[in-house]
Amino acid sequence: MLAFAEALARIAAGGGGPQALAGHLASVLDAAVLIEDAEWRHLALAGTGDRSVPPSVRELLPRDISDASDGVGLSAPADARARAFPIRAGEARLGWLSIFPATGNLDGKHGLIRLTAASVAVELSRDNGGSKGRRRSFWDRLLARAYDDPIEAREDATARGIVLAPGYVAVAIEGEGLDEATASQKNAEIRRVCLDTLGSRTGDVVVIERGGGFLFLVPAPHEVDAQNARTAATLIPRGITRAGIDVKIVGGVGQHAEMLRVAQSVDEAREALTIARRMFGGARVMPHDDLGVYPLLYRGGGNRAEWEAFANRVLEPLRGYDEKHQTELVRTLRLFFDVGQNIKVAAASLNVHRHTVFYRLRQIAEIGGLDLDSPHDQLTLRAAIAIDALGG
Amino acid sequence: MLSAVKDGAAARREILKTAKERGVRYVRLAFVDILGIEKNIVIPGHELERALGGHVTFDGGSIDGFVRGEEIDMVLRPDPATFAILPWTPDGSTEARVLCDIEMPDGTAFEGCPRSTLKRVLEDAGDVVSRVRTALEVEFYLFNRLADGVPTTQALDNGSYFDFSPSDRGDETRTAIVNALEAMAISVSSAHHEHGAGQHEIDLSATGALATADHLITVRGVVKHIADQHNIHATFMPKPVESQAGNGLHVYFSLGDVDEAVRLHAIAGLLEHAPGFTAICNPTVNSYKRLVAAWDAPIYTVWSHRSANALVRVPPTNEGPPLIEVRSPDAACNPYLAMAVLVESIAEGIRSRALPGDPFTGSTYELSEKFRNERGIVTLPKSLRAALTELDRDIIVRGALGDHIYHAFRDAKIAEYERYRRVVHPWEHEAYLRTY
Repeated sequence: MLAFAEALARIAAGGGGPQALAGHLASVLDAAVLIEDAEWRHLALAGTGDRSVPPSVRELLPRDISDASDGVGLSAPADARARAFPIRAGEARLGWLSIFPATGNLDGKHGLIRLTAASVAVELSRDNGGSKGRRRSFWDRLLARAYDDPIEAREDATARGIVLAPGYVAVAIEGEGLDEATASQKNAEIRRVCLDTLGSRTGDVVVIERGGGFLFLVPAPHEVDAQNARTAATLIPRGITRAGIDVKIVGGVGQHAEMLRVAQSVDEAREALTIARRMFGGARVMPHDDLGVYPLLYRGGGNRAEWEAFANRVLEPLRGYDEKHQTELVRTLRLFFDVGQNIKVAAASLNVHRHTVFYRLRQIAEIGGLDLDSPHDQLTLRAAIAIDALGG
Repeated sequence: MLSAVKDGAAARREILKTAKERGVRYVRLAFVDILGIEKNIVIPGHELERALGGHVTFDGGSIDGFVRGEEIDMVLRPDPATFAILPWTPDGSTEARVLCDIEMPDGTAFEGCPRSTLKRVLEDAGDVVSRVRTALEVEFYLFNRLADGVPTTQALDNGSYFDFSPSDRGDETRTAIVNALEAMAISVSSAHHEHGAGQHEIDLSATGALATADHLITVRGVVKHIADQHNIHATFMPKPVESQAGNGLHVYFSLGDVDEAVRLHAIAGLLEHAPGFTAICNPTVNSYKRLVAAWDAPIYTVWSHRSANALVRVPPTNEGPPLIEVRSPDAACNPYLAMAVLVESIAEGIRSRALPGDPFTGSTYELSEKFRNERGIVTLPKSLRAALTELDRDIIVRGALGDHIYHAFRDAKIAEYERYRRVVHPWEHEAYLRTY
């Protein structure tokens, strides 16, 4: 226990943050460790290996969590041995630290977990002090959707020396597989490269460091600024490589959001990060816009209206083109999938030359901004076509 | 042109040897003024060695935009890499031509020399840009002449894109032009009939930016000369016929195997400085009658992979790194200055790591004002005067030109615009004479 506490102190002194603390606990317990804050924002995830870990324990906690100091069990689909421990600072609950054991159970290990939760609490509390803390608290409130009135938000920001942009794009970045010995230094390098790459002509990029990862809010007054922020974010992995930093990063980019709705962009960025890690193997930064059907699948499906909105988003550019140019791109795409992506059969069904089918598929790819050779984009298009057909 | 360019003494020796072997009787020492008009001084072949040593001078005060109000001897410094035997012999004698830089009597580069200006920009542009390779698509019309030789705007044919008409005089003339260019070691990648009746295009293979600008000077001269031999009038005038496509000069840049981010920065630099470089790349009042929403001429600072009327196009490619095509310039430009401002725009985009927004799909002519505002898309200047105002505002483009050329060019073009503005045009008679 003493050695464990000393290790936590070393990590905290080195600026390792929640991610490094989670990593240490995961290695000691041979378990996956998930840390979330009070607003259920992802702060750290470690020790997952091949294990499946829910993106959040929010829905898995028992109803009565009044006395949870020794942890609470989680409901299915989590493993019955999984437990969540509150992260407390005095009476305030700052978040949850959840453990998913690979082997055995957590008997006799609650002390280690509570020590780690206390260290995380110190980290989170420290982030909220001083002038930096005051600015940070503004962004925390904004991201917690605490403002309804833009004027109030602007006045609050001005009082803290913050100049707000009309809109932002959120970029979430995490280093992958960082070990505690070098995490602090590598995180500093990641932060530098990210800021260098995202550097905005339209204002200061806001950096929020949390859970071993970074959240960047890039000012984007106009759509072109948002487009450039997305492009710049996707260039970050190359910047990391070019800078000679031996670390893989994964990231996500949210959509362009008005200032008051920046939390939405943050949620999308985090969702995109998780999908990039799980579906695209990490080592890349994925814009939420480019994820096709995956966000809906990740959330466990949506309601009919959400699915139809998704299908419309995908097919609308093609329909618009068809209407304007009297073409048959949507019909061609549907037939192409119906016949198992066989160009020859599709051409015969459409009564056109197969070169025409190739040409139309190129048009579809260009107009839709999709790659028809990519299985991910194929899934998106297939899903959109299917939803469209099912919707009648 | 010498296929293997050598520096200094070796190159000079090779030229002298070639000139002797080919019996060169006269050599044209060619240079361009600030407006890009080719000038030359003819020397006998036996004076070539002295010329190569930089001992031929001319009165700089007699050239527009060079030095004002004073007479000053300026030095012609031939560039051996541009030496070429002219593939025609007006009186049976062999002539050669060599392009020259202009130096001050003390041997320093003259800051009003367009060719030296491009060299300076390339030297200062950084590794990636100084090694840039460039190619051109040059468009021009071939028109009939009247019996007394006066040119008309009557086309030689009614052809359109890629039409093949073996009996056509235009086709014969274009083939003769390509033969002449190849004889002068200018590599032509293709030649074909263009969209307009009597309009043709010659595409030059990729080479260095300086050589490309040199080649355009040669192409303009060769096209005019060969057409003249066929009793045809050739013109690079940007918009010679209202109802037909204008003459463009599409410039391709290959940055080689660079990071994709660098290419995006370059595109952004071109888009950002397009309003500023338009006066240089589209330097006549007539240029702006081409830059209208018709015939796929670009009018907005938009980039695209496929759109035919985008300002910058990056066509999909199956082999090699993507090329960046700039579609706004016309062949009335001073090619050295045009290349200098385009290269500097690319270099500045890379230096500032600018990004260009997402590529556009479709026809740019239908962009709403709201869409353009949201995406930072601006309209290219609609007149020479507006373009000069944009030039005044763009310190990057002005910096590429240098103070001397900027002021001389600006003065000349404002005077040109004012002359145009005072003329009562036939359209005004048609529209107003009976109405008012």
